Amino acid sequence: MLLHVNTASGVPTYLQIETQVKHYIAAGALAPGDALPSVRQLASDLRISTNTVARAYQNLERDGILRTVPGGRTYVGENPGSFLKAERVRRLRPYARQIAVEGTQLRLDPREIMELVQQELDALEEDNERYSNLDRKAR
Amino acid sequence: MNDTAIWTEKLVKTYPGVRAVDGLSLNVPRGVAYGFLGRNGAGKTSTIRILLGLARPTEGHGTVLGFSIGREQVAILERTAFVSESKALYGGLTPRELVRFTRGFYPNWSDQAVTKYSRLFEIPMDRPFAKLSQGNRTKVYLLLALSQGADLLVLDEPATGLDPVVLDEFLRILVQDVIAEGRTVFISSHQLSDVEQIADWIGLIDHGKLLLEARLDDIKNQFRFVTVAGNAPPQTESSEVLLLASEGSFYKYLVKKNAEAFAAELSRQGATVAEVSPLGLREIFLALVRKEEPCTSGNVGEIAAAVSSSLS
Repeated sequence: MLLHVNTASGVPTYLQIETQVKHYIAAGALAPGDALPSVRQLASDLRISTNTVARAYQNLERDGILRTVPGGRTYVGENPGSFLKAERVRRLRPYARQIAVEGTQLRLDPREIMELVQQELDALEEDNERYSNLDRKAR
Repeated sequence: MNDTAIWTEKLVKTYPGVRAVDGLSLNVPRGVAYGFLGRNGAGKTSTIRILLGLARPTEGHGTVLGFSIGREQVAILERTAFVSESKALYGGLTPRELVRFTRGFYPNWSDQAVTKYSRLFEIPMDRPFAKLSQGNRTKVYLLLALSQGADLLVLDEPATGLDPVVLDEFLRILVQDVIAEGRTVFISSHQLSDVEQIADWIGLIDHGKLLLEARLDDIKNQFRFVTVAGNAPPQTESSEVLLLASEGSFYKYLVKKNAEAFAAELSRQGATVAEVSPLGLREIFLALVRKEEPCTSGNVGEIAAAVSSSLS
């Protein structure tokens, strides 16, 4: 998997890992049931402490995005969106607020802000198609 | 105490005319990679010498792996691998002879590790130590440290003379063979980037005092610069403000947590909050250590609420 981190940035390293894993799942590069590298493997590859990787994996597990089976292997959860709709909305709301605040501060009008979000959704959709085409070719 | 690799309370070490270590209370959990950071002469090596029994503390006490510093030094040394800053060993001996000489001291010594790491590091095992380059001397030190099967590795400026490829390989080994095994690494350095890469805990020392000790990701989560526009800094009483500095017509507060609430409070007092921004270890280090940084506006200086020892 193509995870990478920038340890010199102000963003905590475990958050960088969480964000990337979520992105790969949303883009279809990781599908439910796919295996992730072990904590030790990923930490060695990235030259970061195993504690940092473990923290990221634990947070993702707590959110139902990953699951670890007895024996230690970690997989993408079968049903990542299994939380109640209300809970999923509650989790997204801070990001929506941030987009609204930042967009307004940058003097973008509401239509332009919505357009940007739509573009990002379209990009994810395209990624999804690309990855599923790759899958078909592989078969 | 068993979940603590290194614990000290109010360590002091004075040399004639110098307080090299000045009331240092460290708390290094087991199983972490701990970066012990400070400028040259901050007191890092003096502290390490006390931990290893190479110097006697003027005041204070502590434990390493649960054993009392000074009183149970043999138990500490058996379980602790040390790479010294000076990288000096018997110059007439070859690395192979140094291995033979060293192995007897350590109950958990691994000859397998010697074979593995001497190959990985490409160490000339039969050339006298005195004739080795600086980088190869460092590698010999690392080889001896990694082969001891130690529960704790104390590395004082371990990167000296290593080229980027060897340094990268060394970091990989530290993660895979040491930290992943639940053992503890204590790295002292003034090179922030090497340490920031691998460390999950940070201790920041200056003038023999501990300025900051915390999990690195928690620091990045919580520490913020709050920038305020105006001619005078708003009066604030908060134990969470570490630093106040002026920059042109702006004031910058370094806030260690609840920065948003702090910024909201400043706004309520009529201040114009320009920005709340996260910062990397480098910026925190410079902000805390370089307090004498000149202020462009002249009158307002530096520390609002002095860096407190209550930081955690």
